[in-house]
Amino acid sequence: MRDVYLDYQSAKPVDPRVVETMSPYFTERFGNPASLHAVGDAAESALEDARARVAALVGAPNDEIVFTSGATESNNLALIGYANRNKRSGDHVVISEVEHISILNLGKYLEKAGFRVTRVPPDQFGRINPDKLRSRITDETILVSVGWASSEIGTVQPIARIAEMLSGTGVAFHVDAVAAEGQVPIDMSSVPVDLLSLSSNDIYGPPGVGALYVRKGVKLAAVTMGGGQERGLRSGTENLPGIVGMGAAATLSAEAMATEPARMAAMRDRLVAAVLATIPHSHLNGHPTERVPSNAHFRFDGVEGESLLLSMKDEGISVSTGSACSSKTLEPSHTLISCGLLHEEAHGSLEFTFGRFSEDSDVDRVMEVLPGVVDRLRRMSPLYKTD
Amino acid sequence: MKSTQYSEKTLDHFRNPRNVGVLEGDNVAVGRVGNPVCGDLMEMYIRVGADDRIEDITFQTFGCGSAVATSSMTTELVKGMTLDEALAVTRGDVADALEGLPPVKMHCSNLAADALHAAIHNWRTDTKIEPMSAEEIASVGVGCGARDATVVEGVDDYADTGVYKRVDDTSVLADKRVLVLDKGIAAAKLALSLTEVTPRVVFLTELDTLGLPEDLIHEIKRSDVKVLFQSRLLAVRGEGEVEKVLIHDLDEDSEYELFVDAVVLLEV
Repeated sequence: MRDVYLDYQSAKPVDPRVVETMSPYFTERFGNPASLHAVGDAAESALEDARARVAALVGAPNDEIVFTSGATESNNLALIGYANRNKRSGDHVVISEVEHISILNLGKYLEKAGFRVTRVPPDQFGRINPDKLRSRITDETILVSVGWASSEIGTVQPIARIAEMLSGTGVAFHVDAVAAEGQVPIDMSSVPVDLLSLSSNDIYGPPGVGALYVRKGVKLAAVTMGGGQERGLRSGTENLPGIVGMGAAATLSAEAMATEPARMAAMRDRLVAAVLATIPHSHLNGHPTERVPSNAHFRFDGVEGESLLLSMKDEGISVSTGSACSSKTLEPSHTLISCGLLHEEAHGSLEFTFGRFSEDSDVDRVMEVLPGVVDRLRRMSPLYKTD
Repeated sequence: MKSTQYSEKTLDHFRNPRNVGVLEGDNVAVGRVGNPVCGDLMEMYIRVGADDRIEDITFQTFGCGSAVATSSMTTELVKGMTLDEALAVTRGDVADALEGLPPVKMHCSNLAADALHAAIHNWRTDTKIEPMSAEEIASVGVGCGARDATVVEGVDDYADTGVYKRVDDTSVLADKRVLVLDKGIAAAKLALSLTEVTPRVVFLTELDTLGLPEDLIHEIKRSDVKVLFQSRLLAVRGEGEVEKVLIHDLDEDSEYELFVDAVVLLEV
């Protein structure tokens, strides 16, 4: 029996074509782009080629892409860098309650640093209402940050509407696009987002690389000090093999946009329909339609997520859960709680994320196993009794 | 070993838990403990013999892998022991028998021992614990309720922004997370009709069972209405409109916030 991996949101394999492209940059093309000799020149042109590829993926001019070590660093540069550089204009930042942990913790950091942070709650599907968000903006607001999609429940936010609402108000708009890239169209030439965080691994590039799109005219203070690479915004000699890999991944991702989202959505929709029809007292978390094509997020009454996950693991199926018992803090998923779920409901969640190497047979394999697993755990659960 | 990784022994007890189930009849006592923060609940059943020995022991659990494994191991360890011997078994003994538990999981391992101790205590004090009713099951680890609307903090601040004292047209609550306070039959019927316009309707009562006609109770049980028992609404919160409520879980004597969009306190 082939092992089934349906946890693409946690980590993705690097596309073998990307590995092949990267390979020479570890050995014969090892140069430092800052060097003035021929080896350095070759490195610089590889760096700029990769920059153009990433820019093309999001419809941006080449010189508005800054390479980082990953989306977490991009988020740090965007929020801390923007807040510090623009604090004379105001001290208020607005984020949503359904952000990735890196944004939530940056919110706490900014509060300690003297900024005021407002967190906008979502509706029951995890979606932010642009009007509600607008009502939180004051004269002191300098920055709004909303993720393009939730990495947990997959809900896609109305980013274009929020961007248009903020456009021209002087409030900058940052978007963490990690959970959306390669899955929904992202075009900076038509959507007025100011700062956009990207991850290489989330488009099947190497981990440890990311980028921040910085719209022309948006001023940031550097967070990393050093030799002034990346227009002074991200010092440190560039991770050339990684960046070349991200560039190659961006081109493949742009090509795959024509077919891959629809292919994933078909598998995902089949899984959702089968689970809800087969397993009693099962529920889909997140938005019924406005969700990234890779994501199916369920909860099952009366069973606990980590037990589900371990049982699936025993069957060779890798998935994720929002249960507290799988996290180091023992807190249930903040996203699920802010959607209005009770703790006990959040504990029973299981997340499936499809990806480039998922196959239709993965859905069949899950459905062979999952109903029995849920049933077995319910039989030993005092919380689930049929009557 | 990864800090979150289980030993083979623990995984074996998770995969093949020993002594799962309930015991019935004479000479049986039950201990029930739960930790709503970690989202687990455990029941331990003991049958005590004439010589004060644990003749038989079973458990049921809603919990993570270590909760299942520690329950299973505890039943194996104490079966055949006298009650005093069983009381001397510590969670450390259980963890050792499982060849160690991840540090973050040690707190889950309290539950099995606590449930056993509760069962022994109940045996010795002749305390009967009834099997949980469906109502109790629905209320575990959660709870909301409002006995007296006048003491709910913030209600008057949201008169036009999410707190409803009457609902003539349920469509105003379409796709909203609605909390309906138990005000009797009218409120229960409203909760049921709201399930036609939104998937999230929470019915909050301070009672531990529904004080409604049988047919209405049956209808609510079969519906998507989420009933929270033994719970009191303390406060309505939000910036400019209802966003959260603060709930007092009367059973656990704890407070927690629940994200909602609307609160219905029918005037009756």
